[in-house]
Amino acid sequence: MTEAGTEAGAPAVRVKDLWKAFGQSVAVAGIDLAFPAGKFIGLVGPNGAGKTTTLSMVTGLLRPDRGTVEVVGRDVWRDPVEVKARVGVLPEGLRLFERLSGHELLAYTGRLRGLPGAEVDKRAAQLLDVLDLSGAQHKLVVDYSTGMRKKIGLAAALLHNPEVLFLDEPFEGVDPVSAQTIRGVLERYTGSGATVVFSSHVMELVESLCDWVAVMAAGRIRAQGPLAEVRGDAPSLQQAFLELVGANSRDTTSDLDWLGGAR
Amino acid sequence: MTTTTVTLVRLKLALLRNGLRGSTGRRAAYIATLVVVLLVAALQLIGLIALRGSTHAVTLCVILTAVLALGWAVMPLFFPSGDETLDPTRLLMLPLRPRPLVRGLLIASLVGIGPLFTLCLAVGAVIALAHGAAAYAVAVLAVALTLLTCVALARAVAAANIRLLTSRKGRDLAVLSGLVIAVGAQVVNFGAQKLGSSGGLGALDPAGDVLAWIPPASAIGAVDAVSHGSYGVAAARLVLCAAALAGLLYAWQRALTRLMTSPDGSTLQAAEPTRRRRTSRGPRLLPDGRTGTVMERALRYVWRDPKTKAAWVTSLAIGLIVPVFNALQGTGSIYFACFAAGMLGIQMYNQFGQDTSAFWMVAMTISSPHDAYVELRGRALALLTITLPYATLVTVVTTAMLGDWRALPEVLGLSFALLGAMLATGAWSSARFPYSIPQEGYKNVAPGQAGLAWISIFGGMVAAALLCAPVIAVAIWLHVSGAESATWLLLPVGAAYGAGITVAGLRLAAPRTAARLPEILAAVSKG
Repeated sequence: MTEAGTEAGAPAVRVKDLWKAFGQSVAVAGIDLAFPAGKFIGLVGPNGAGKTTTLSMVTGLLRPDRGTVEVVGRDVWRDPVEVKARVGVLPEGLRLFERLSGHELLAYTGRLRGLPGAEVDKRAAQLLDVLDLSGAQHKLVVDYSTGMRKKIGLAAALLHNPEVLFLDEPFEGVDPVSAQTIRGVLERYTGSGATVVFSSHVMELVESLCDWVAVMAAGRIRAQGPLAEVRGDAPSLQQAFLELVGANSRDTTSDLDWLGGAR
Repeated sequence: MTTTTVTLVRLKLALLRNGLRGSTGRRAAYIATLVVVLLVAALQLIGLIALRGSTHAVTLCVILTAVLALGWAVMPLFFPSGDETLDPTRLLMLPLRPRPLVRGLLIASLVGIGPLFTLCLAVGAVIALAHGAAAYAVAVLAVALTLLTCVALARAVAAANIRLLTSRKGRDLAVLSGLVIAVGAQVVNFGAQKLGSSGGLGALDPAGDVLAWIPPASAIGAVDAVSHGSYGVAAARLVLCAAALAGLLYAWQRALTRLMTSPDGSTLQAAEPTRRRRTSRGPRLLPDGRTGTVMERALRYVWRDPKTKAAWVTSLAIGLIVPVFNALQGTGSIYFACFAAGMLGIQMYNQFGQDTSAFWMVAMTISSPHDAYVELRGRALALLTITLPYATLVTVVTTAMLGDWRALPEVLGLSFALLGAMLATGAWSSARFPYSIPQEGYKNVAPGQAGLAWISIFGGMVAAALLCAPVIAVAIWLHVSGAESATWLLLPVGAAYGAGITVAGLRLAAPRTAARLPEILAAVSKG
């Protein structure tokens, strides 16, 4: 792991005044973020909060309307050579090259990243083994289940040993066994000093995994900081989150008084 | 009618009505289809009635019915999304018994454009054939039997194959259905020409005699038999059709019961042991680094991705058929051989659209115009490994058929120049006018991007033709000035020009690609 861009204090990701609108609807409305290096960072928010849009802009897959993004101290849009070599991405809602087998997909990705062929094959075999995909490595990705897809996507994102890993909903639709596998790999990876940024709306998961959280709702950042700080006095992150996004006051039970009544 | 039946008929009506909702374009397409189908049905009805009394009426009616029944059997395999009520798994969670469900679905499926078309054909057929009161009575029965058998056939086939239809392989099959239809059209065309030359419908009479015993055409055959007084034959044919209907209903009900009581196949599939695929890279013929990696993936996709495969097979087939058939008919010019190069060059267009949203994996590894150049060059080289030998082969075959060997170098040179121009403009428009290719169904352009696709392909082809102008000018000049012995010069000139212009095109396209990665990704992610 090179430490050049992640010296003490320098954030792994710094976002300033980031905006994105799709037609009339503003998806991301001027957010500022500073994620410390070497941490497990959770970007949480309800569906439609702008998490995917934010991560797409941070990773260079979507052009912002305004604002700057720096990853490992380099501007994503002005210095893509440095940034793209140092980040790994697992986007949500985008396909993989699904007509390749799992093994072929990793071989393709690694070589496209400019790694030597022998090294790619070695790393791919180890990743497939650790992620419990060895048995399915010769099957086309199009026939994989959701959990297997997430795992092969994670393997492809890790192959070039990035400094910062961006994962959009890595646990969405994943069974508990696969989730535990993914978790183990990610914990080992952050242990080595790398940074993981992932989005989720499952608070229990974020609470148990992350050191640092940013809460997003309706295109804005409601809170960010170390987990304990964001949680504050609330008994759980779930409670703190509901208060932050203002969803606690709604009483949903009064209109459904027939539900569970006499049948 | 039971409530189940009424509900299912209502559902079908609602689905039909909903075809009228949605975007203006979709509504226009829906109404246009409706009008065309009704028009064809009406014309067919009138045509069949006009046939009344003709000696070959029975042959034609029986064959038409049989073809229509074949259509009913095949349709659910190729267009599983055409009728949403065809998929019984959608009703699995409801507390329904198979028998009322079968009855309800059968009646509900009589609602629609397809059944109306079938009704028109059956009515026309019996009017053409029925003579006498007894025949008319049988005719009513025959129409009902034909219609029900057709509908039940479609349902039974769909229910029996639902596992296939909802699986990946089934969807791949649906994508390739366009090819089957294109080939089928050629066969029909060929058959029609053959008929024209062999003296009319009489040639089909033996086929008609056999088909008159095969349900549901046998119901129509029964009407004809009654008209001729052969009551025994008529009864046998009717019973045959009724038995077929009963058999289909039974098979359908059994398939439904099995579907409703056995686990969903989609989860079983993942647990299957994997078949060992040969992925050893073997002695590598492809160059190392990004170039070889890109080529390898591109070539794998030609074979494995149904959309890419369909596009390639179409290009290869048309590129061969046009020059060779023209040569066969004796009307051909050797210059038609350039058509192969042109058709195959089209595959360079919309390169990133062929990636679908998986383009992000490519985008993440392109950080400079040089990366983009190597990426595009790899794709062009992959294309050339198929195109170059194929275009050469087509040119040689065409030349051999026309016997004009002296013109071979010249035509080859023109082909190579055209191919180069297509690759150059294709690379450039891939960067400038990318559009999505939907992966499901037979459409090749996502809604709202048709204009973009037209600009990309037709603008590019016109540009390619213009780019070829210098080589064409040299060819014309050599012919006009009487220096025909020097036309062999066009081979090296054309090849060099083609190579040069390809490199220039890639060099122009690369910085555009590198600068527009997010825009390209957005454009190709709509399918």
